[in-house]
Amino acid sequence: MEILDSKENDMDVFKLIGRLDSNTSPDLEKKIFNAIENGSVNMILDFENLDYISSAGLRVILKATKNLKRSDGMVVLCSMQDYVKEVFEIAGFDSFLPIASNMDDAMKMF
Amino acid sequence: MNAETISFRIINSLSQLNILRQNLEEIGNDIALDKKCVFEINLIMEEIITNIITHGYTDRDEHWIDIDLWEENSMLVIRIEDDGIPFDPIVSEKPDLKCPLEERKVGGLGVHLVKQMACDVAYERCGEKNVLILKKTLTRITKPKEKDEGRTC
Repeated sequence: MEILDSKENDMDVFKLIGRLDSNTSPDLEKKIFNAIENGSVNMILDFENLDYISSAGLRVILKATKNLKRSDGMVVLCSMQDYVKEVFEIAGFDSFLPIASNMDDAMKMF
Repeated sequence: MNAETISFRIINSLSQLNILRQNLEEIGNDIALDKKCVFEINLIMEEIITNIITHGYTDRDEHWIDIDLWEENSMLVIRIEDDGIPFDPIVSEKPDLKCPLEERKVGGLGVHLVKQMACDVAYERCGEKNVLILKKTLTRITKPKEKDEGRTC
């Protein structure tokens, strides 16, 4: 998996490319928690080019969401493939995670 | 793939998930499965295999995990056999999916996804081995093709 990170209007944007599985999710965890250590409170995870996610990926996103909530920040996800979105729904994560249909809508959620 | 079993084995290392992905993509192409179906089969198998690799062993040795796949009545049957400690995922506790964010736990989530996505999950302890048999409905790419393949299995 490739992770491209950038800053947009004070938000950290992580563009995920490839597969977020048990093998690759530690890389995302490192990136996210490095950003948090450096003061990041709001994040967008762009799923447009993410082909695959398993519970290992959900675990990292849950951990980040909990952490950022304590500093009044949040994680917004956007541009998911339908079958990836279904995983979030089955896990019940859609009840607390904002999921935007595209990047523009994700920006408006902050 | 009718009546034909595809078998492969992987070592108890998470890096072997790439072998799983490659094999499933190949099978998906061979029997024209749609992307979502291949995704769900991969997810089901990753969750089970990751559990075996991370919780199944009390030593640091290499262990084989044996996988057999075959088609039966429009379903993919997935048989996973390992020599780890006894673990029956069927009896594992369902995570509380409605509790507030602060109390959400990820434990059990993988097995929950498996139970939701597979049609059937059966566990058996055979001697020193865990044998898990999962069934998943196959969804093929919809495209116009010959009506009758004349196969009766």
